[in-house]
Amino acid sequence: MNLDQAFETYVHESRDLLQQMEELLLEFSQGRSDPESVNALFRAAHTIKGSAGLFGLDGIVDFTHGVESVLDLVRDGAVPMTPDLAALLLECRDHMAGLVEAVAAGTELDDEALRTGAELQRQLGTYLGGEASAAQSPTAVVETGGSGVAGDEGYWHISVRFGRDVFRNGMDPLSFMRFLSTVGRIVAVTTLAHEIPAADEMDPESCYLGFEIGLVSAADQSTIEGVFDFVRDDCTLQILPPTSRAADYVALIEALPADEVRVGDLLVRCGAITEAQLEAALRIQGAEAAGIGDAAAQARLIGEILIAQKSVAPPVVEAALDKQKQLRDGKAQESRFIRVDADKLDRLINQIGELVIAGAGINLVAKRRGAADLLEAASVLGTLVEDVRDSALQLRMVPIGATFNRFQRVVHDVARDLNKDIALLINGGDTELDKTMVERIADPLMHLVRNAMDHGIEPTEVRVQNGKPARGTVKLNAYHDSGGIVIEVGDDGGGLKTDRIVAKAVSRGLIPEGAALTQREIHELIFEPGFSTASQINNLSGRGVGMDVVKSSVTDLRGTVEVDSREGEGTTIRIRLPLTLAIIDGFLVGVNDSVFVVPLDMVEECIEFTDAARTEARGREFVNLRGQVLPFIQIRDLFEIGGQPARRENILVVRYAGQRAGLVVDELLGEAQTVIKPLGKLFQKVRGIGGSTILGDGRVALIMDIPGLLRHVHGKATNREGASATALQ
Amino acid sequence: MRIDQRMTIYTAAELKPRLLAEIADSAVPSVDLSAVQEIDAAGLQLLLLARREAAAVGREFRILEPSECVREVLSLAAVSYMDSGPTSLGGPAT
Amino acid sequence: MAKTILVVDDSASLRQVVGIALKGAGYQVVEGCDGKDALTKLDGRSVNLIISDVNMPNMDGISFVKEVKKLPNYRFTPIIMLTTESLEAKMKEAQAAGAKAWVTKPFKPDQMLAAVAKLCLP
Repeated sequence: MNLDQAFETYVHESRDLLQQMEELLLEFSQGRSDPESVNALFRAAHTIKGSAGLFGLDGIVDFTHGVESVLDLVRDGAVPMTPDLAALLLECRDHMAGLVEAVAAGTELDDEALRTGAELQRQLGTYLGGEASAAQSPTAVVETGGSGVAGDEGYWHISVRFGRDVFRNGMDPLSFMRFLSTVGRIVAVTTLAHEIPAADEMDPESCYLGFEIGLVSAADQSTIEGVFDFVRDDCTLQILPPTSRAADYVALIEALPADEVRVGDLLVRCGAITEAQLEAALRIQGAEAAGIGDAAAQARLIGEILIAQKSVAPPVVEAALDKQKQLRDGKAQESRFIRVDADKLDRLINQIGELVIAGAGINLVAKRRGAADLLEAASVLGTLVEDVRDSALQLRMVPIGATFNRFQRVVHDVARDLNKDIALLINGGDTELDKTMVERIADPLMHLVRNAMDHGIEPTEVRVQNGKPARGTVKLNAYHDSGGIVIEVGDDGGGLKTDRIVAKAVSRGLIPEGAALTQREIHELIFEPGFSTASQINNLSGRGVGMDVVKSSVTDLRGTVEVDSREGEGTTIRIRLPLTLAIIDGFLVGVNDSVFVVPLDMVEECIEFTDAARTEARGREFVNLRGQVLPFIQIRDLFEIGGQPARRENILVVRYAGQRAGLVVDELLGEAQTVIKPLGKLFQKVRGIGGSTILGDGRVALIMDIPGLLRHVHGKATNREGASATALQ
Repeated sequence: MRIDQRMTIYTAAELKPRLLAEIADSAVPSVDLSAVQEIDAAGLQLLLLARREAAAVGREFRILEPSECVREVLSLAAVSYMDSGPTSLGGPAT
Repeated sequence: MAKTILVVDDSASLRQVVGIALKGAGYQVVEGCDGKDALTKLDGRSVNLIISDVNMPNMDGISFVKEVKKLPNYRFTPIIMLTTESLEAKMKEAQAAGAKAWVTKPFKPDQMLAAVAKLCLP
């Protein structure tokens, strides 16, 4: 902005005004005085000050402010215009002239002039009676137009009802909305027109509008409030900052003339909650009826939800916007979904399972006959059946987000009960897994989350003492990993205390005193039945449900649990689950006449168990695989199959959860789709077997429980699997 | 009906009876806003009133061919409207 | 169509600086040196916003606001009053007359632009 010319105007204008002031003051000093002259004098000082401010001439503004203030009192009749005052003001005028000429020449006042200025200000101050000392800097008072940036972006909810006179006063509520989008991003708007009276009574020049606005902004509260400064007396304004609690939103919503359905809709549309959270809230409502949760507590921290959202930043915001849009599309959306009885779905999947087996049968027959055309037809059929199987399984897949979101409320309530400040961070809520799995993992997760809050997160004082943020964090995370899903429950608490675990395990007789255990083995001890790390019994840990129950629930789902803990830094419990319970891609191996199935996604490679390797490995339980130690299991020995080893044995290298082992088998029979049939009760406790299946030729094959076998191999030395494990050896 | 002047606080008093008459007289009440050069919240408020009054007598009040400034306002206020084509929804301004 | 703002102040330098700032932001500017002069500028042209000083010779800001409120084509125009803390009583008077927005003198051009933007973006 080129202000040179304007500045020149300012200097000229000030000189004129100072000239005018001089003339007026000389009249006053001779005892003449009339109201219009006082007014003109005031106006001159006022203009010089006002324009000086525009150019940032703070020296002139500061000094002239005192003169203006005294003249204001004279104008109001509070101070008489005496010859003495006129003389003082004349001196002040001269000083102002000096200030103006100095800035015009681009120089500074000398020390003497500065002393004179200070002395004049002091004298002016005596007329102002201390209340408004002339020395006070008015520039400090008007310093309200700063950038107002407070730091990180946050979600603000603005609820505004405009008053009837707003239009008549020349204000357009839409202008404030437009301005809002310059201090942040408007992510949601709901226009409220319910205050518009009956058509006959409606005054078109009165304003009846209100808005609910979701704003993502880094501005501070005063900046956002400032948007509505000019209608402050003419509207009802409520601003919920990013730290607001759900209860504040609830209160806000309750004040609206909305039916129940709309309440949720409104919240979602305004972005106060996401669609998923609305779903979760509805579920919690349902759960409350079943006795879970505390109906009186409504105060979930919205901030926590938002932090959780922020952790996955822009894509999530976009996704939320998409979801909002979908929601607005209400009707179109409804017709896109069909509710299906879960039993029907299960029946379909069972039938597809049979189809897979039948398809394998055809393939086998085709091979046996050597009929090339039949083989080709069977292969096409096989591909299609595979696709149908995948689609059918996909029908049962649901995102785990809804389950995760239920914990927002749990975390809030439990944190309050424990008198701790705890935030919940959610990641990977859109990771999908089998519906049955989602339902059955909810309880173990609940236990782990409560446990993390109760035993993991330290009391606030302790955290502060240790230099950690006062607010603890519990994290829920889900992601896909080697054909399965991993769910993590983490905390940034004190971590597992190995010495205490060992002491307790010894006192419980779980391990002999002085047993040499690795860190990992010590951590595993918390899954032993009856083990509890709580130093005091309270209503959270005193429910008789321990980590052992979590473990057996997960094992029932063909999953595993592991602990990752660092003392002082926190603990993460990692649950690995298969994607589905129904069908897997399997790899068939033969030992003698028996056929076993290994889940294909756990097979790393197949190698020949050469004579040389056999000789080298004699008496040991590991082989050298390209310079690395690979422990192996003789399947023949493990399952007591008997018979002579084939002349050429093979090793199937399997991997799960970062651990590897070799399975020594006779034959490699290739891949096949496998429908998992549960084992009968009698066999459920057999180690190493996870289920059975029927092969295309009608034979039964056992499905190996690779995680169980790996645990067996790697935990052989210090094997303490508890009562649920009875090894077949 | 068609509005070919500004839809603001200055014209609101005049537009209100016209909009209400359209609802009373027309089986398919609608307003063509393609010629509107200026609209403010008072104008928006009238459209919301018209829509409500039409719904009260079981009709749908259609906003046809909103001009650019009307679109901006409908979008800012997240008010949906019928476009010449399929239902199109005003989203929040970004 | 660019928004038009009428700037009314007896200080030519203030009008000039405010004018430069507003034009730089994309507004059209019409100037008036006091209330009386400003009324002659409300001659049928479209004016989206008025910025007016309170204390001016000939016709002060309060009387000017009252006159604007009588003009059928301008009575709903938003008005920003330029005020100082020492003029609080005058400010109340202006608000009662229907001028609800204000900027406190002395102000920086940016502060004026922020106030203007709340009422009408360029």
